[in-house]
Amino acid sequence: MRHLLIIDETETEAGLTPAGDDLYFLHDAEGTHEISFHGCAICVDDVMESVAVAVDGNTAYVHLNGRAHRVEFREPVDRFAKGGAGGGADAIAAPMPGSVVAVNVEAGQSVSAGQVMMVIESMKLETAIKAPRDAVIEAVHVGTGKTFNKGAALIALVPLEEE
Amino acid sequence: MRLIETQIDISSPEFQANAIHNRNLAGQLAERHQKARFERPARDLERLARQKKMSVRERIEALLDPGTPFLELSTLAANQAYGGDVPGAAIVTGIGVIAGQEVVIHADDPAVKGGAWYPLSVKKIVRALDIAIENRLPVVHLCDSAGGFLPLQADLFADKYLAGRIFRNQATLSKLGVPQVAIVLGHCTAGGAYIPALSEYNVIVRGTGAIFLGGPPLVKAATGEVVTVDELGGCDTHTQISGTADYPADSEMHALAIARDIVGTWKRTEKLKIERIAPEAPHYDPAELYGIIPRDIKVQFDMREVIARIVDGSRFHEYQPAYGTTLICGFAHIWGMRVGIIGNNGVLFNDSSLKGAHFMQLCDQNRTPILFLQNITGYMVGREYEHRGITKDGAKMIMAVSGLEVPKITVIVNGSFGAGNYGMSGRAFDPRFLFMWPQSQISVMGADQAANVLTDLKVRQATRGGDTLSAEAVAAIREPILEDYRRMSSAYYSTSEMWDDGILDPVDTRNALAITLSASLNKPIDRPHFGVFRM
Repeated sequence: MRHLLIIDETETEAGLTPAGDDLYFLHDAEGTHEISFHGCAICVDDVMESVAVAVDGNTAYVHLNGRAHRVEFREPVDRFAKGGAGGGADAIAAPMPGSVVAVNVEAGQSVSAGQVMMVIESMKLETAIKAPRDAVIEAVHVGTGKTFNKGAALIALVPLEEE
Repeated sequence: MRLIETQIDISSPEFQANAIHNRNLAGQLAERHQKARFERPARDLERLARQKKMSVRERIEALLDPGTPFLELSTLAANQAYGGDVPGAAIVTGIGVIAGQEVVIHADDPAVKGGAWYPLSVKKIVRALDIAIENRLPVVHLCDSAGGFLPLQADLFADKYLAGRIFRNQATLSKLGVPQVAIVLGHCTAGGAYIPALSEYNVIVRGTGAIFLGGPPLVKAATGEVVTVDELGGCDTHTQISGTADYPADSEMHALAIARDIVGTWKRTEKLKIERIAPEAPHYDPAELYGIIPRDIKVQFDMREVIARIVDGSRFHEYQPAYGTTLICGFAHIWGMRVGIIGNNGVLFNDSSLKGAHFMQLCDQNRTPILFLQNITGYMVGREYEHRGITKDGAKMIMAVSGLEVPKITVIVNGSFGAGNYGMSGRAFDPRFLFMWPQSQISVMGADQAANVLTDLKVRQATRGGDTLSAEAVAAIREPILEDYRRMSSAYYSTSEMWDDGILDPVDTRNALAITLSASLNKPIDRPHFGVFRM
């Protein structure tokens, strides 16, 4: 599986394999390039370039030939998940029996991943029901003050394909 | 180590004729590989497209590190079984690299009979897991199988090395601390359900993946309960309720990405330390192998010429060059890894057998993996040789080959007949890997000899009443016997039955050996110890 890099807003797929003796092969859309690193310089297909790199999490800022580039690495697991890392389940089920304390959303409303949609109470503890992904609410099944059993459907999200 | 001086004249008519013949064989092999890998009924491909499923080849491609080699094993399994309708036995297996780690891959092919398991499919999965056990390689399972092929259930279910062995091997791997991840891309029903269940890690695709002991129709028939696939054994059922599956995935690519992430967390095993030097290409062009292997399997050739086109720099240190000259022994490097090589240069006599057993002990002692290059018609027969103890000298070789702790890899480059197959590390002697070249033949004796013995027997039965048989009548008995025998001793039959791990184009041998040798070093080995040698 190749990695997805977003270089100055442009998506590029590439992979790197070690070839021994500090040499690497870079596989991209154009083919295979030989890469080696020499301190502050990088050698690509026998052409030596000096580079400066600063890394901030999954983003690297690369200074090359008098220009700065932003290179963002996209984790493959996040990239292929529908609507982000939380996954694509459409039905939000009750994690335990309890009652609804507050409903913050209504059908047709858009929510973003992590947004609190509902608060439930169970065993003297309040639990926030958060959106697993960016979504549109299809229906809220249980109103404020109502009780429910474990596994009951609390909220339905519009399935991704239908949005 | 010295450069092997080639004696081959590459401009000779003999060399040229051999080259044309063997290149043709390699061409046919490539064509059959291509068909077995990609040719599928349109109906099956349409169904997969409708289900938004990737092909098994696309799945493996996405799973592996880009630009790394994948050594596929037994590509032509079942090529002469089930009317040729089950290419690759509906299973793809091989050794690849994920997150920098060598792993065994077992993948069901849903484009062949819905990924149903035939008897040879089971054999292929069991073999892949045996490879994982013998070489301590982690396993990635890509599960998408309709389940056992019911009309042949008697041939795939109950015996020791049949379907149950898959799960026994999975449990054995777990006990050895060798991790497995299963990716559930289709239905895993009945026995198949245990593959993800017995893997330490598993990922299931929402919508298409499902695991259950009995599917909805069986449940309805058994108990009357009406239940959907998803409710019974889908992604959310198993990742949220039953705990049978570990990681939910939104798509096949998502599942493959999660599996890659999982493999990346596994601890790397420390490899067996053998001598390694910087790799060097052979001095002689490996493509010259085509001109070296004679067109007629009965014609002798010098195995040194083969060694010269496989090993680093064509350099070889020959051991006991003047003794037992029908068996070549010595040391070389393949992609920088030191190996002992034992290759046939004729019939095994008493002295060559002793030399072989001796050299094997030497390699075991100095921790050098052994490569066996087979071209063997057998051990010498006759009064003189029996008096000298050819049987007990052959037994010494078998005792040595069986007792080796160092990895052994076998390539049958031409003939593999009779007990010579045993002494030279045939399948029964657990070489870590065994490959064949396209022209090779393998049987208890040569086709002509066997046909003569069988024909004599039938002619004697037919003439018991004192009749005589015409030459045509004898030929009519002999021809079908010979034809059948030839077919069943061919490399294609061997690979169909999985007596080997695949047929190699001779020029690919060096790379295949490097991958398998490297894989074999993952298992720690015991101190040298052997059974009793009959002296």
